[in-house]
Amino acid sequence: MKHLALITLTLLTAFASVGYAHADSNEIRIAFIAYQNPEQVIEDVKPVIAYLEKETGMKVKYNVATNYTGIVEALRNKTADMGFMGPLQYVMAHHYAGATPILGEVYQGKPEYVSRIFVRKDSGIKTIQDLKAKSIAFTDPISSSGYLYPLELFRSSGLVKKDASEFFKRTYFAGGDEQAIRAVLNGFVDAAGIGQFAYNLLRPEERSEIITIADSAPLPSHCVVLREGFSPSMAKKLKKALLALNEGPNKHLLQNLYGVDGYVPVTNETYAGVEKVARSHGLLR
Amino acid sequence: MAIHRHKSHFLSCICLLLLSTAGFAHIVPPEEFHPMAESYRRLAFMVNLNPVLWDEVKKDTDAIAHELGHINSEMALSYSASVDHVFMEVEAEIQVSLATPAMRKKASRALFAHSTHAISTAIDELLNLAKIDIDEPEKSGGYLATARKIWSAYEHELKYSDPSAYFNLGQAWLDASSALGSPGLFGAGTIPTDIERFNTALTTIQEFNTVHFGETFSPAEKGWMYPLPFNSPTFDGLADIPTKLPPGSNMNKQLPRPRQILGMVERGVDESETPLIALGDLAFDSSYIFGEPARSLLISCNTCHNKGTTNPKFFIPGLSTHSGGLDVSSSFFKPAANNGHFDPLDSPDLRGIRFTAPYGRNARFASLREFVRNVIVNEFNGPEPDPMLMDGIIAYMNEFDFLPNSSLNRDGTLNENASAAAMAGEEIFNKTFETMNNKSCASCHIPNNHFLDRQSHDIGTVGGTTPYSLDRALDTPTLLSVKNTPPYMHDGRFATLTEVVEWFNVEYSLELKKKEQEELVAYLNTIGDGEESFEDTMYTLEAEMEEFSFFLSSYELALEAGKLDMAGAIFQTITTEIHAHKWDVQDQKYIPVLNEMADLMDSAYMAILGNDVDTANEHVATYREMYAANAENLK
Repeated sequence: MKHLALITLTLLTAFASVGYAHADSNEIRIAFIAYQNPEQVIEDVKPVIAYLEKETGMKVKYNVATNYTGIVEALRNKTADMGFMGPLQYVMAHHYAGATPILGEVYQGKPEYVSRIFVRKDSGIKTIQDLKAKSIAFTDPISSSGYLYPLELFRSSGLVKKDASEFFKRTYFAGGDEQAIRAVLNGFVDAAGIGQFAYNLLRPEERSEIITIADSAPLPSHCVVLREGFSPSMAKKLKKALLALNEGPNKHLLQNLYGVDGYVPVTNETYAGVEKVARSHGLLR
Repeated sequence: MAIHRHKSHFLSCICLLLLSTAGFAHIVPPEEFHPMAESYRRLAFMVNLNPVLWDEVKKDTDAIAHELGHINSEMALSYSASVDHVFMEVEAEIQVSLATPAMRKKASRALFAHSTHAISTAIDELLNLAKIDIDEPEKSGGYLATARKIWSAYEHELKYSDPSAYFNLGQAWLDASSALGSPGLFGAGTIPTDIERFNTALTTIQEFNTVHFGETFSPAEKGWMYPLPFNSPTFDGLADIPTKLPPGSNMNKQLPRPRQILGMVERGVDESETPLIALGDLAFDSSYIFGEPARSLLISCNTCHNKGTTNPKFFIPGLSTHSGGLDVSSSFFKPAANNGHFDPLDSPDLRGIRFTAPYGRNARFASLREFVRNVIVNEFNGPEPDPMLMDGIIAYMNEFDFLPNSSLNRDGTLNENASAAAMAGEEIFNKTFETMNNKSCASCHIPNNHFLDRQSHDIGTVGGTTPYSLDRALDTPTLLSVKNTPPYMHDGRFATLTEVVEWFNVEYSLELKKKEQEELVAYLNTIGDGEESFEDTMYTLEAEMEEFSFFLSSYELALEAGKLDMAGAIFQTITTEIHAHKWDVQDQKYIPVLNEMADLMDSAYMAILGNDVDTANEHVATYREMYAANAENLK
């Protein structure tokens, strides 16, 4: 497993090279998330770092984590000042570690999206009621779009009171949106409850085989989060610099920031709905 | 932790979404494979070809060995030794003569079997490690995720040949992933690992993998070699396995699209009144005029000659040496028409085709009709084309015009719009060289004859069969549009015109100085340019929908001629094309409209199959109404 070892080493090198644990008053440390290829993210964010340094006048250091736990933990133990994460991770980071959100991401013109229940077009399944005693794939238990919000559809309809196993024959956590929607496409499961954009992970010729039978309530998109106690004046500079990417000569840098359309200001209130759902699932004790 | 490793939420979707649906017309991102699976799938394709490009195959066996080395170095060494032995045997035989069919088959089968075993070994080893490290779910999940990716090496074939096993194993992978549980966050949402469920799922996969693809795996004796579970009780030996091109293939077309000039359109002719040309346009874009496997792969004339020009991206491993070219006389598209040797050709620009006879890089056909018929029947395995369809294709191609060039006089000389460098280059182009038998570039690329002489010459780019063989001549190509149609030479060996000029300079001892070479390149770029060489938009659906409407104008022509089969092919082509292009729509809420229009064409096809022309007419009328009502949104 040298390959895996190599990636780990690269990440550790990134941590080390930025002198991660030692912040000074004119320094910000950002934790980026990498889903597939950490080396690529490291390359992608370099021009963003240069831009932020120029705009804020602060020294910017960064690391790249391959999961949200790393980012949330870094905010909690104050080895990172700012991180990119999903709404549920934020809500939990706020509850347990006092984190605050500054910006929400805009995609396809909206700062929110929905979760959907996808089934095969030829399955004969038309409503969520039809899924009784069938199988479903989610992505991950700690995911708003890939678990909590789609499950809410069944809870609010009275089909599930507490646990998904009451209604479904089998429940899977496929590990990712693509794995989940492909599990439906290939007939391994009857349905998938995942974020709306998972559909676009299918190849064009595959999409016609999949339909949506239900949409969840909208949930705010992913966000940029600051650790507890981070300097308000520095936060203001960062927020301004990132918002300035929405228009103007540096707009192209958004491509390096996960390809979003832009950012909108958010507050903890933006995530009230997610917080309510998380609480009902016992995730906020 | 394991589940977190490979989660992909909103953001990861975004990254992929950009690749797949940003409205940038019809660009399909390549299917992603683990490097080991990628090499295996490419190798599995290439060892089925005749001839086999052993050096290319070796690159993939090396890559498999390299990847296997990360997992188990001992097994990697064993694999390398096995395949190297095969390559040595092949090399020994080739030094004596060409590899015999029996030798080629034996070596291909051995490489295929060893490589399949290597894949199964990697999967098995990774799953063993996942079991061993189950106390560390994140680590274990990493092994599981890698094994799952490598499993895609033979998943496609399993899906079609043994659906029952494919389903059970698909569930086993899901079971394994789910059984890892979740570490939660801040101590909340924790799900403990279900070790028994995990081990059971992995054992199910390992047993199948080892029994069917392990050391005893042996590919079929006859026909195309696939990784198939021959001894599985649910294996269907008669299953139809859809052809897939290997990783590294690219059928996407260039964007922005090259500008196509159709003579009758330039003259302002109403396209609805040129149904034969419309039929030809449709046929040019239709995979239905070809046979399998081109048809299922949606390959049409337009795939390699995008908008009647070239497609510099087109590539199929084992059949192409350079992007933009293909061995059209290979064993893949029509085995019976294989000429037995690897001779890929660069796809030529078809602009001005009516002025460029004879046809084929080696001038093998005097008439365009003969040439096109050969492409359809012998290169891409199509049925004998209907004479009216052939008339249509030729009528359409005869409308292909060169791009206007404001730097050129009508006699092919440069005018005052050309740069000084280009003017200097023009003199060199017309200058005779003793080392070129007292000829100039212009002797063959005659400026007042569209820069060609309609003859063939041996200029030294073709290796003959024997030292004194007279089989090296190639047709003189036009230099018009040459600026935007790389790569160059008959086999696409040069990516730039600078390289072309350098080659002539060396090959013919022209002794051109650096500056003179640059001037010659400036000249070529000037005569080979054209006004508005590319379309000014990246969004192509609107133009495609207009073209489908044009296609449909040939329906009545087919009806009048009593050719219901042709009418059916018109409907099938439009249905396929709408589905292929619908994801390019900028506002996806119109996908249902496009689906409905495709369904109308499909219904018309079904009606024609039942000889029900009236119903087909109704569907056609409804389609036309829908298009009129929605045209402005379908872009």
